[in-house]
Amino acid sequence: MATTVAAPEPLVGKRIRRQEDPRLITGTATYVDDIELPGMHYAVIVRSPHAAAKIRAIRTEAALAHPGVAAVFTGEDTRHLGPVPCAASLPGLRVPQHTVLATDRVYYVGHPVAVVVATDRYLARDAADLVEVDYEPLPAVADPERALEPGAPAVHPEWPDNVAFTYHLENGDVDGAFAEADVVVRERIVSQRLIPTAMETRGVVASWNPGDKSLTLYSSTQIPHLMRTAVAKMIGLPENRLRAVAPEVGGGFGSKLNVYAEEALMGFVSMRIGKPVKWIESRRENYLVTIHGRGHVDYYELAARRDGTILAMKVKIIQDCGAYYQLLTPAIPTLSLLMAPGLYRFRNVRGEIVGAFTNCVPTDAYRGAGRPEATHCIERMVDILAAKLGMDPAEIRFKNFIREDEFPFDTGTGLSYDSGNYALPLRRALEIVGYERLREEQRRARAEGRLMGIGISAYGEVCGMGPSTAMPAGGWESATVRIEPSGRVTVLTGTSPHGQGEETTFAQIVADELGIDLNDITVLHGDTAVVQYGIGTFGSRTTPVGGTAIFLAVRDLKAKIERFGAMLLESSEVAFNRGVCVCKKTGRSVSLAEIAAAAYRALKLPPGEEPGLVATRYWEPPNFTFPFGAHIAVTEVDRDTGVIEIKRYVAVDDCGRQINPLLVAGQIHGGIAQGLGQALWEQAVYNEDGQLITGEMMDYAIPKATMIPYLECEHTETPTPVNPLGVKGVGEAGTIACSPAIVNSVVDALAPLGVSHIDMPLTPEKIWRLIHKGGGQ
Amino acid sequence: MIPQAFEYVSPATLEEALELAGGDGVKLLAGGMSLVPLIKLRLATPSVVVDLGRINGLRYIREEGGRIRIGAMTTHWEIESSPLLRTKCPLLAETAATIGDVQVRNLGTIGGSIVHADPAADYPAALCALEARVRLRSRSGERTVGISDFLVDVFTTAIEPGEILTEVEVPVEEARAGVSYQKMAHPASGFAVVGAAVRLRRANGKLAWVRAGITGLGPKAFRAVAVEERLDGVAVDAEEIRKAVAGVSEGVEANSDLYASADYRRQMAAVYLARAVAAALERAR
Amino acid sequence: MKVSGSYSVPVDPETAYRLLQDPTVLARCLPGCQDVVQEGDETYRMKMNVALAAISGQFESIVRLAEPNFPTSFRLIVDGTGRIGFVRGDGLLRLCPDGSATIVAYEGEVHVGGTLAGVGQRLLDATANLIIRRFFEKLNRLAACPP
Repeated sequence: MATTVAAPEPLVGKRIRRQEDPRLITGTATYVDDIELPGMHYAVIVRSPHAAAKIRAIRTEAALAHPGVAAVFTGEDTRHLGPVPCAASLPGLRVPQHTVLATDRVYYVGHPVAVVVATDRYLARDAADLVEVDYEPLPAVADPERALEPGAPAVHPEWPDNVAFTYHLENGDVDGAFAEADVVVRERIVSQRLIPTAMETRGVVASWNPGDKSLTLYSSTQIPHLMRTAVAKMIGLPENRLRAVAPEVGGGFGSKLNVYAEEALMGFVSMRIGKPVKWIESRRENYLVTIHGRGHVDYYELAARRDGTILAMKVKIIQDCGAYYQLLTPAIPTLSLLMAPGLYRFRNVRGEIVGAFTNCVPTDAYRGAGRPEATHCIERMVDILAAKLGMDPAEIRFKNFIREDEFPFDTGTGLSYDSGNYALPLRRALEIVGYERLREEQRRARAEGRLMGIGISAYGEVCGMGPSTAMPAGGWESATVRIEPSGRVTVLTGTSPHGQGEETTFAQIVADELGIDLNDITVLHGDTAVVQYGIGTFGSRTTPVGGTAIFLAVRDLKAKIERFGAMLLESSEVAFNRGVCVCKKTGRSVSLAEIAAAAYRALKLPPGEEPGLVATRYWEPPNFTFPFGAHIAVTEVDRDTGVIEIKRYVAVDDCGRQINPLLVAGQIHGGIAQGLGQALWEQAVYNEDGQLITGEMMDYAIPKATMIPYLECEHTETPTPVNPLGVKGVGEAGTIACSPAIVNSVVDALAPLGVSHIDMPLTPEKIWRLIHKGGGQ
Repeated sequence: MIPQAFEYVSPATLEEALELAGGDGVKLLAGGMSLVPLIKLRLATPSVVVDLGRINGLRYIREEGGRIRIGAMTTHWEIESSPLLRTKCPLLAETAATIGDVQVRNLGTIGGSIVHADPAADYPAALCALEARVRLRSRSGERTVGISDFLVDVFTTAIEPGEILTEVEVPVEEARAGVSYQKMAHPASGFAVVGAAVRLRRANGKLAWVRAGITGLGPKAFRAVAVEERLDGVAVDAEEIRKAVAGVSEGVEANSDLYASADYRRQMAAVYLARAVAAALERAR
Repeated sequence: MKVSGSYSVPVDPETAYRLLQDPTVLARCLPGCQDVVQEGDETYRMKMNVALAAISGQFESIVRLAEPNFPTSFRLIVDGTGRIGFVRGDGLLRLCPDGSATIVAYEGEVHVGGTLAGVGQRLLDATANLIIRRFFEKLNRLAACPP
């Protein structure tokens, strides 16, 4: 039995390099495409090139006759499978039947129509070209507002108005507030469709074991347990005969928080051919059929007093749902409504959502999932209001922030903000950027005809998902902490990190609590045969919710450790600290390893105690967490070209306690990068025929490292009372904060030309036209 | 992203490659930076791919009689970093450095790029300004074509089936000359939304000689001869230069795509040309 | 995508009109067309082979001549389906006399789907115009030296 050297000083709070990284950067991690199983076949999916069409016939004979082809399946073969699930439920939600393969019609470009299975991927791809589908193209509609207009082509014939759902909320006296207001500002604000572009595309390996009639599904997913439950139901397999494994997953950003047709399809294929089968999504498929993010057209109205006090807000969100729902499609815009008032005190809110069907791939959660849209809008509206009143944009925010002494604060949209100090990060950000000096510099620049702008984004967000009553599939999280006979520790987490680094974060927490070395801890996740049921990784929940479950399990273990220590030390006055249990009277001690050995050997047990040293906890969070912060962007616009230069970018974020500041910085940087992507470069564009014309990375401009400015990042730390770790979650904050800082900055730069609003992405031509044709949008 | 099956041939000599060139379904592979993605998308479906990479004698940069001769298989990186080119034909080296990204420049070749004739490629602007010539070999002999005659239309050159472009020839730049390549890069692909390459000399506060090549604007890169004439003798003054380059897009059928409309491109051609002139003037002695 | 423009053809409008309505002429002017088969009234099936630089695609095409208005105008509809995508061009051609020649003005729409649409967006405009340019170049050669 080995004894380990106790960690000399606390690891929580330290910038520690990740345990995950050595395998990732040496190419020894196993992603789904690295999985090779004996007899494994390959699947290629035939997809519709039309956005809307009837399928008149599918001829598979030529494909079946192709060398190496084991099978070709169409919608006829998969008719009996359950539909691709939507876990969101809203009153009056119209739910299209989302079959695994198209049956008589296709509804978006990329809609899967057939699957070809062959002995190698090359033969499968060649044979896929031989599948002949007779389509009768139908009129399609790709724009959500056009879809809602009378006379638009019906995406689903049973709902010719293309309304997927409507949703209302109302609080306070909105009409009264608008009537008494001195000023009302209105704007139409678009949060454009985005393509999540995870580094690794999706992929599935399905392996049916005909001997014990069990199925193993490897899938690049963020939610292996939930996916297992859903897919078992879809293919009619008992849940406990299905093992789901998320191997190394190369990023998800929400796009893999989902249950996709291909997961059930590959299970079905493997069961039918009796062999393992692999499907790897090409990048082009990924752009076409993995969910898109955002897709809002929002109409906002703010009513205020002349002194800048905001009294009320009216919001109408038009959500582009796509042709079907994926797991959470209708729920995402409800998160926007929840966060619509942002950090401001007014409670009079009227909110309306109209979901529109379009002949496009579904939208669903993408980094921020509804909250970037809300923050973008409220922060734009506050700037628009400030401009209308001639007020400084920082001043108007300070005036309207919920004050420190008003927490917990019940918002007009039904949330209860637990804690916050909104003025703090904004004040700090203004200080870092040198706000007064910058405004002077701006005055000088304007006199010279230069277009310089300063943009503020004061954001709040709701994450640490979340209380189960508010979550479609539960929001608790599970943890098993197992101290092995040797004293080494294995942590089984129900979360499913895929790049966030919790193997390190969790090890830091456990190492500190047990006083052991980081390297003596192994964190396992992602395999439903290994780890107890859990919810998964999304919504910035892994550390606040998953970490708390682990923390509580460790606390249970510490109590048992002390009981064993007391037994071994024959004393009732013992304390377990830094890896040893010490008798306070005699000073004698016994190590964790010795205690573990005794607990498993069970020669003697404390009264009423079971052998072993394992604790499992399922933790239900009492509330969401509410991180907040302030970002400031300073930009200059080139008059001749419309090109925007970001001269400075300051971020002051409060995610509560930071377990590993290195990883927090990584999340903020990455989040800001994706926010910049939305603000400046990215847009998923469907033409009027419903063809996705930004179909490759040659046209869809995701940010590259060379495009990101230097990010000046600081933090404030107001721990949350929601969990014992004081951690709020930080995965999405950067993205939520960023886009309004940029757009506010550029609008500020162009304000002397009469510009009051610009929609993202702020492409050079768009800006150039505003400069040269004069004002307007 | 899986190509259709093809036969791969890797000849050791140019003669062997010439035997194969022009055959039915044959495509020549240079750096692969354009061809391979097309093959993977199945937009190109050659039955035979002839890899020119093993052939000795197609990668070189050498000076001969006031001209610099560059083998067709010379990579962008080799051109970007060549001490000879950086001193004696800095415009070409500078242009090569703006192509794509490091990975692309390590593999992409000047010959492959020219023959592909993407309307948004960078080299053609510089090559037009340099009045470059290309050498074409076939089984029956060799011919030399001026770049402006070689670039015919979008993705279309004067190359005949059975010909292989073996060499690009550019002049040695005069020591006093100033050169610059300025481009607006597409944020995703890095291609030139517009690109302007300028060579000029200055004397007595005036432009004394100008060559300008424009890419990205229309179906092919072109030498802006009319603008060159207007710039010749113009005072080194930003406003005068702006007026002289303003008409660069006249008569050009400008490209339009999602990122930049034809209108915008026309305006940007003038803006980037003016910037290239200004930058070149800074360097001219 | 909208396309429009005009080209001069060195024959009178009546001749130009007849040439444009002749399926063998159309097959020579449309890229790489072979095996022209008449399907119905003014409808022809042909195999189109579009080759542009390295890109090449075969398209099963239906060519339809509609709204005939001799010798002033007619509609030309080309529907091509291939592995790399589908293309549908629908244009109104108007013929005006110009001395001894004819100005053929066209105005129409090109719809593209499949791989071509997803990855070819940047060059669709330029490529469509190129194909139209070549169409008229070939037409002019045929007009100058009738087969």
